[in-house]
Amino acid sequence: MAFLMQFTNRWSSLGWLSGKFVRLGFFVLFVFSIFRHVPSVAGYSLEGVAIFFLTFSLVDNVSQIFIRGIYMVGRDIREGDMDFYLIQPVNPLFRVCSNLVDFLDFLVLFPILGLIAWIFPRILGHLSAAQLAVNVSLYIALCLNGLVIAFAVHVLIASLTVRTQQMEETMWMYRDLVSLGRFPVDIYAPFLRTLLTFVFPIAVMVSYPSKALLGLLSPEKIILAFVLSGLFLAAALALWKNSLRHYSSVSS
Amino acid sequence: MSKYWAVFSLSVQQQFYHRASFFLERLRSIIVIIVFFAFWSAVFEGRDHLLGYSRSQMFTYILGMNILRALVYSDKTWELMYEINTGKISSYLMRPISYVGFCLSRDAADKSTQLVSAVLEVVVALWIIKIPLYFPAHPAALLGFILALGLAVTLYFLMSYCVASLAFWTSESAGPRFCFELFLEFSSGAFFPLDVLPRVLLTVFSVLPFASLLYFPLNVFLERIEGVYFWRGIGIQIFWIALFAWAARKLWKKGLKDYGAEGG
Repeated sequence: MAFLMQFTNRWSSLGWLSGKFVRLGFFVLFVFSIFRHVPSVAGYSLEGVAIFFLTFSLVDNVSQIFIRGIYMVGRDIREGDMDFYLIQPVNPLFRVCSNLVDFLDFLVLFPILGLIAWIFPRILGHLSAAQLAVNVSLYIALCLNGLVIAFAVHVLIASLTVRTQQMEETMWMYRDLVSLGRFPVDIYAPFLRTLLTFVFPIAVMVSYPSKALLGLLSPEKIILAFVLSGLFLAAALALWKNSLRHYSSVSS
Repeated sequence: MSKYWAVFSLSVQQQFYHRASFFLERLRSIIVIIVFFAFWSAVFEGRDHLLGYSRSQMFTYILGMNILRALVYSDKTWELMYEINTGKISSYLMRPISYVGFCLSRDAADKSTQLVSAVLEVVVALWIIKIPLYFPAHPAALLGFILALGLAVTLYFLMSYCVASLAFWTSESAGPRFCFELFLEFSSGAFFPLDVLPRVLLTVFSVLPFASLLYFPLNVFLERIEGVYFWRGIGIQIFWIALFAWAARKLWKKGLKDYGAEGG
């Protein structure tokens, strides 16, 4: 249904898709261009900074494909659609998330994955087969972990929206906070790095996978990443259940 | 004039309907400033000059970017598209008020609140992260900056008006509008100075209207564009203003003829 909705408005969808490609293209151009003038940024080479940016794009993009529906939860509550979701024989959280699947973000995945595949040999070419397998496995696992955190944050915001009906700006603030992960978090002050690890785990979401790939992440931080995501997910789901228990229809 | 002042006043009040949203928007802008400051601090580590900018010039560019984005890019032509597609524009066309004047008043209100907010955001950012700033040594640079900025605001309004007028012919103009705005933001230097890009792209964007919106006024302020190059830039701005003014007029007249008031 979401797929059909987007392809009914072909010209609009083409415009949205073009905009996403423009944004990705310009940021890639920026990253490559800046390294024509400097040899490194925060100690990272072009390939290092590029993998941070591409991993951020990957995690952000995949989360937007599957969780975009949560952006509409405020409107669903105000217009009464939430009442119908709650009486349908499907998990309400799944129903809310799958309300809008952004297939345009799916198309943007292809150039991101292509660039990641292009970068991999340049940063991993010197590793042994065993080390390569470990680094890549950790990268994939931590990317999936990042998606879990993204999901948990969205559910947290959705839970607050169920209580207050007015939290759309919080969602966009989350997106701006995630954009802090566009570059290696080492460029930020120590206080901000701590905030981005333990309070808003953006560093865990988008920087840790890249660091693991580059062999820069300690085992303690790897464990921390999985523990944090587990805690966030548990808290988010508990808050969602609690919010539904206190839900009273606005209109239907 | 009183009716346009009433529109202006009501639009300003509308901005503060949802105060929590308004303040969260301000917080978001501060986050963006912090990101760019941190990135360029890392780039400038161990050097005082890069791309022809001194450290203070670069950071002034970043803060100036934030303020000028609020002033140049804040507009209400999204509402024009919505009003055309839903037929709401019919009620404005029947009233004793110029719809263009109405749009300008609404825009002026949005720009006023965004400008004041952007200045406050920059002050807060300066208080948090103590950025070294650059101020022009010559008053002529400041006057030139004000002139270039005024022309940039006019140019963007006309460009935006032209794109919004597409709503007369299609209800699917939101996507193209999104693409247009993103391309414009990048190519005008609203995310990073265009000097980062290959020379050929900088030249192309300078001749086309894009660099005239943010990059040119900011570089006039930073005294990196002076003399004959300043007047060349002003000439480019005036040329594109004339072209888009003509296009906006043509599109508006044609659009009104073809307007079917669907939904109205």
